[in-house]
Amino acid sequence: MKNQSRRDFLKITTISATALVGASATKLFASGNPTSSIDPMGVLVDTTVCIGCRKCEWACKKAHNIDTKPIEDYDNRSAFENYRRPDHTSLTVVNEFRNPTAESKPYDVKVQCMHCNEPACVSACIVGAMTKQENGSVIWDTDKCIGCRFCMVACPFQIPTFEYHKALQPDITKCDFCFERTKEALLPACVEICPVEAVTYGKRSELLKLAKKRINLYPERYKEHILGEHEVGGTSWMYLAGMDFDKLKFPKLSTKAAPGVSEAIQHGIFSYFVPPASLFALLGGIMWLNKNKSKSEPDTE
Amino acid sequence: MKIISMIIIILSTGLFAQEKPHFVTQELQCSTCHTCEVPTKNNPCVRECIREYLVSVKHSAKEAPENILINRFEKIENIYQPVHFTHQLHAEMSHLAGGCQTCHHYNPPGRILTCIECHETGRKREDISKPDLKAAYHRQCIDCHRGWSHEINCVSCHAMNEGKPSNIDTKPMPKTVHPEIKTPERMVINTEYANGKIVTFNHKEHVDLFGLECQSCHSQESCIKCHDKNPDKLKSKMVHETHENCASCHDTDNNCSSCHAQKEKPGFDHGQRTGWQLNKLHSKLSCSSCHQKKGVFTGLKSKCSNCHDSWSSENFDHAITGLRLDEIHLENECADCHIDDNFTKPSCGNCHDDIEYPDFMPGTLTK
Ligand code: SF4
Ligand code: SF4
Ligand code: SF4
Repeated sequence: MKNQSRRDFLKITTISATALVGASATKLFASGNPTSSIDPMGVLVDTTVCIGCRKCEWACKKAHNIDTKPIEDYDNRSAFENYRRPDHTSLTVVNEFRNPTAESKPYDVKVQCMHCNEPACVSACIVGAMTKQENGSVIWDTDKCIGCRFCMVACPFQIPTFEYHKALQPDITKCDFCFERTKEALLPACVEICPVEAVTYGKRSELLKLAKKRINLYPERYKEHILGEHEVGGTSWMYLAGMDFDKLKFPKLSTKAAPGVSEAIQHGIFSYFVPPASLFALLGGIMWLNKNKSKSEPDTE
Repeated sequence: MKIISMIIIILSTGLFAQEKPHFVTQELQCSTCHTCEVPTKNNPCVRECIREYLVSVKHSAKEAPENILINRFEKIENIYQPVHFTHQLHAEMSHLAGGCQTCHHYNPPGRILTCIECHETGRKREDISKPDLKAAYHRQCIDCHRGWSHEINCVSCHAMNEGKPSNIDTKPMPKTVHPEIKTPERMVINTEYANGKIVTFNHKEHVDLFGLECQSCHSQESCIKCHDKNPDKLKSKMVHETHENCASCHDTDNNCSSCHAQKEKPGFDHGQRTGWQLNKLHSKLSCSSCHQKKGVFTGLKSKCSNCHDSWSSENFDHAITGLRLDEIHLENECADCHIDDNFTKPSCGNCHDDIEYPDFMPGTLTK
């Protein structure tokens, strides 16, 4: 799949283009997903345990060869003065929120891709670059990604970001659930380093059991809500918290899987006569060809 | 038949008495630990790791290990050095806070469990129902340490290692003792109570004289109380909180004036309060050495024999009174000289004519 040839791509494009007869483009795009496993791996983030040490940010960067300051610098808590979102400089970030019941124990919330069971980013990706893997990870193929940013728009958690710095080599970045590490039976870097195991790695079903047990044992500590159990059809990463999730800046979401961008755009911006499927295909095709051209140029020199 | 069943009953109670069921050692509901109505050996249906009320083994801090080197996490050692944990020091101080069970939160009857016996060392593991060892340690430490340092700083416990495993210092640390705790002699507290703004609290007196242990009052305090790096953050106590400590002895509901006054109060004076001035030897004693009935301070007769009924000429060292008896007088019974139960001035008349104390001494003065 990785070395999908230009011809293969054009084939998809043509099929997509012919979808103007009325076939749902959404369906077609989504059908490219590999079937996700019935019980994928996941992570339970317990925001009542997290101490906001941000070592996970450091470890994540190390594991993904992203530039980082030395680990000691992460002890500096001034980072919490501004609310931050994950981006290409940090695939995961921790934000801090006031705990109204215990001033000295604020709630710290690690944010990264949720690795949805039915990922909207995957259904939105018109070139099939985003895929949901057997172990739960939602990853993407840099070679295929055309930088159209549909995944960004589609993601209900606003996770994928675009690396603007290299204009000619557009790339989407987000947490990849440490796909390369888990392949080698290593833990995700953030899980491994976390000093208090605020992030627990395990089978999604086990994690749900664990989360329910904690809520049961300590009802005064937790809200009776496991974020990600049902939201957008369930996610591999799930959260426990001591206060309502919207106060921790999580979006309010329905339990239905997010529709994916294609549908939204069809109904929204492109309410012209041009059937959206063919337009996507055309636009996408041009972008993809351009990208690969620019990529291969240095090689030919 | 009756006799046989009696024997069986006696035998079986004897048997039970020997193997005391463990729940009698603590005030515990069965349901705190067991999920089913009738736990059996085969199906004890024990709840998993309840944090509260499950410690059944108690010992003194002196018996606890002194210092523990926590170096089970090799990978992290590349960044941080292992921690020398001053276990005994923490144990000693813990009686002012939650006690040993603050950390040893689960210990079924039997010997004392170490952390590693429940918490696995590897983060990648089958059973994720409890945190792994690294997390368990960190959670315990950070919970208190962040409270008083207001920061979450790895280097406050770990030295940085700069990637050189040879840097690691594994030498056992000498025993660490808590520096002597300076306690105030007396505190004068301004209150908002109009009929008696000033409460004079004689701290030293409460400890030395009234015999209170530190934890009689300071039992629910956290380390923050003394160690807070930012004392401004200490919240002042609410009225009912301060009263709570005093109320175990003083009637804080009805007798305000026993503590509250318009000006500073002098400390406790036995002579003034009871009309019986204590002499040098007695004034050093704690109240309870004489007033042995807990909480009752009246009803002692002023006769020495009231307390010292076991003293006789054989076992009493007279020198402590300031007069060492000479050999001849050592032979006497107490009552030969102290004829009226009042052991102040002796009378010589039982044996001697025309001799009076202190003109004539039955020994030598030592002071
Ligand atoms: S959180 Fe967003 S980026 Fe992550 S899998 Fe879900 S839809 Fe995709
Ligand atoms: S799983 Fe990996 S990529 Fe995702 S946040 Fe953790 S360390 Fe980063
Ligand atoms: S490493 Fe763990 S405790 Fe520290 S911020 Fe990340 S999730 Fe929270």
